[in-house]
Amino acid sequence: MNSVNASPVLIIGGGIAGIGAALDLAYCGHAVHLVEKGRILGGQVAKLDKLYPTDHCAFCPLWTDVKKLREHPLVTIHTCTEVKELKRVNGLLHAVMVRKPPVIDESLCVFCGKCADVCPEAAIDSLGDHVYPPSHLVREEICNRCEKCVKECPTGAIDLQRKEETSELVVDDVIWAAGFTEVDLAPLPEFGLGKHPDIMTAMEFEEWTAEAGVNKGVIIKKSNFTVPRNIAFIQCAGARDQRLLSYCSAVCCMHALKQAQWAIRRSPAIQCVVFYTDLRTVGRDYYEYSLRDISGCRVRFIRGRPSLIYPLPTREGIAVKFENTMTQKREIWKFDMVVLNGNIGSSLKKKDQKKYISPALSGDGFVSPEADEISRFSCGFSAEPADVAESVIQASSAAVRAILAKRNS
Amino acid sequence: MSGIGVFLCRCFGEVNRVIDLDYLQKKSAEYPSVVFCSVCESLCREDDVEKTVSRMKEAGADKVVIGGCSHLGRGGAIVDGLLQRGIKRSAIGLVDLREACAWIHRDDPVNAADKAWDLIRMEIASLHYRSKSGDVTVRVCPEAMIVGAGPAGLSAACTLARLGFKVHLVERGSNLGGMLNLISHVYPSDEKASEKIKPFVDEVNNNSLIHFYPKAKIDSITGFAGNFNVQVSSPAGEQRLRVGAVILASGARVWLPHGLYRYGKLKNVITQMELERQFIKGPRELKTAVFIQCVGARNHERPYCATICCPSSLKNAVRIKEENPDARVFILHRDIMTPGSVLEAYYRNALAKGVQFIRFEETNPPEILGTEYVEGMDVFDSVSGLKRKLDCELVVLSTPLIPNDDNVKLAGMLGLQIDRYGFFSEIYPLHPLETRMDGVFICGSARWPVSSDNAIVQGEGAAAKAAALLGRETVSALSLSRVPGEKLGHASVNAVTCTGCGNCVAVCPFDACRLQKMGRKRVSRVNKLRCKACGNCVSVCPNGTVQLPEHDYRAVAAMIKEAFGEEMSL
Repeated sequence: MNSVNASPVLIIGGGIAGIGAALDLAYCGHAVHLVEKGRILGGQVAKLDKLYPTDHCAFCPLWTDVKKLREHPLVTIHTCTEVKELKRVNGLLHAVMVRKPPVIDESLCVFCGKCADVCPEAAIDSLGDHVYPPSHLVREEICNRCEKCVKECPTGAIDLQRKEETSELVVDDVIWAAGFTEVDLAPLPEFGLGKHPDIMTAMEFEEWTAEAGVNKGVIIKKSNFTVPRNIAFIQCAGARDQRLLSYCSAVCCMHALKQAQWAIRRSPAIQCVVFYTDLRTVGRDYYEYSLRDISGCRVRFIRGRPSLIYPLPTREGIAVKFENTMTQKREIWKFDMVVLNGNIGSSLKKKDQKKYISPALSGDGFVSPEADEISRFSCGFSAEPADVAESVIQASSAAVRAILAKRNS
Repeated sequence: MSGIGVFLCRCFGEVNRVIDLDYLQKKSAEYPSVVFCSVCESLCREDDVEKTVSRMKEAGADKVVIGGCSHLGRGGAIVDGLLQRGIKRSAIGLVDLREACAWIHRDDPVNAADKAWDLIRMEIASLHYRSKSGDVTVRVCPEAMIVGAGPAGLSAACTLARLGFKVHLVERGSNLGGMLNLISHVYPSDEKASEKIKPFVDEVNNNSLIHFYPKAKIDSITGFAGNFNVQVSSPAGEQRLRVGAVILASGARVWLPHGLYRYGKLKNVITQMELERQFIKGPRELKTAVFIQCVGARNHERPYCATICCPSSLKNAVRIKEENPDARVFILHRDIMTPGSVLEAYYRNALAKGVQFIRFEETNPPEILGTEYVEGMDVFDSVSGLKRKLDCELVVLSTPLIPNDDNVKLAGMLGLQIDRYGFFSEIYPLHPLETRMDGVFICGSARWPVSSDNAIVQGEGAAAKAAALLGRETVSALSLSRVPGEKLGHASVNAVTCTGCGNCVAVCPFDACRLQKMGRKRVSRVNKLRCKACGNCVSVCPNGTVQLPEHDYRAVAAMIKEAFGEEMSL
């Protein structure tokens, strides 16, 4: 069976689902092209500080999988690349890919850090502590093109003038694994996002408090860099809400439980309150994980959706107005930090259809497999809100379905 | 040709602006067994690695110590480059001079140089004693055994057969379909359960690659990835199977709520499965029905959510509502567990159809009234804060799925882990279908309670993993690694000095160590294909008979001696 089939399978998205599907296809002897928009593979999982329910960091398993991919002869990885167009020419599926090469060439960079030292605008940053191989990243929006780094780089890895490259590829099938992005909460002003630096989304909070991030795992406020006394975690912010996302985002309950638990483990004086609708702990050890929050970490759970979140006039704190549906009381509590959880949706957008090709999407924005030929295979958040384990399972299943489709054609 | 070549990297000034590399070069070159020491501007670029290898050949060095950056910096790339050019991993030592010495001790150059020299000496000392484990290669038997013929097992079997592999489908019952035979419809598609399994059943009956063993029992499984020997007894007689991969899809069973909510005492208190059985027979006329969720789940005894009970209740409540539009149907719940877009829409549909939801607290469960039949129910609605009295003709208890009792036996035979509830454990959340044993995969409710749709998806996923193994012609011990490249070797036993104490057998988590008769004594033998090089056996061996060649105890002792100047007594 392990004969190499001529046309590869195109996987869109280099997150945990895309990586899983690519590995399964390659190990079964099929060529794969993995297209990732960003600089690095790993997607959203690479941004997570800890994974629930094991509380491990994702770096080691992700790194080993990425290394396996890099070393596999049947896998071609395209980072910084987007698929512009999918078209049928004489019955063959052609993918037009546009690559914007990064300013710093990864294969030449030795991660010495000289470029970051000389940059007058501090536009050069490490790609992240959880990245292999390590490299630097030029923030082009800050960069003033002084070219000091170009002169300083000992290996000639930096070129500020790199042009977009377009290439075309004949593929057999497409697997959509584009993952999730945060959905703008602007249509729901009652959550107060953007009105105060200490009101942030869960992914922002994860980045802000990550051990490998700017604050090295210390929980502090964004507004004045002091330790907060209390943090409110607001669940279903934007989700299960007919005005924005009608579905349940599936991962946010556990995500908030994890963040609350770790906030308290790092700074035991912080009080965490989780405002939830239903606490959805469906999965191995998830319910026990929530019990740890309740008994071990003394997280308070309040069933109720806040009706209004606003900064206090003095700007020292945020007021959360809610009805506690367990006691039927309406209250206003003051918090130092507010974390909004739930506003995540599929990265595949209908409005992209003019610019980039998009599969057939359901009303909620997930790929409808029956609709047309290029939408047959999808996994991860492109298919249905899913956590890490479910995404990887869906990826294996999508891979094997693509193999079977190949054999039948 | 023998000797060690030492290469020190300046990393374009990053290392030598803190550490005096000339001092290190002089010291290294004078050190016994070092043939030469050279300092380079960089070592990690393609032509650098080429130069390193030719310099080693010139000077007659067969081992190399690289003083450069961390393995997770560019060090890994140097090692990979050297491996590609035919240098053995056991002949390469990597010392982290940039991150661990120069960068972290930027303010203390003298001690940084001392630390660097210590690390280089330790690596040189350890290289003397490191060797490479011998490999063993076995042919892969391109057949698979699937335990359980429920939705997960059926989907795995059909997928593997479609990929061209011979499949042995072993089922303890007599029918295909598992739990789907007991229910009338499946959520969320509201398809008939019999329709759902029909394509699979047809395929099993018609595909000559699938062998079905009904009413079968697994007596023993031995072997390793690519080569398992299975003893199966069934009414057709005892059979020995040789398979390359095993997929466990043995499902779970439903817990019976004896003693809770007066189940078994009142005639119309039934479980969800009993309701399904009534539905298979035909529609039921009802005026009121009450579903109670989390019966025996999310409590002290079974602290988990069994995933399928909430959507099952939604499905059956809607069905009662559709068959009896005037009926009042209540679902008493603690949290409605419908994550995702499909299930959330399913929940909304139930709300739209007029199913009523009442939330109760674990500490204040509903109370059933009546003597022979249910006459009513008292429930404290925690959302409104009011006590409510419900009429009910039928009370349906949603009970969780619990693991099969023979999971323990199967796990014991295969050396698998089971979790604290009794379900099969995966190796890691990022690899949810793989187990601790190579070649053994888990799917469906044997892994964790799942819906039939997800069980089918998991069966396909497990089949993909198994196909990757079965498609290989041979499998070698050193290639069975979860880390890319070669695994870190495997334990080996010196049969002459082994006393057969059995300590290693007791601690081996992978069932790789076994005692075997050799002449007049019993000695331990390590199965190289099962060994994962964890080193447990090495640490309990009383006389150092078991060793990992890549991490020989003499290498560790020599490193300690270099670092602290003390001999280690062994």
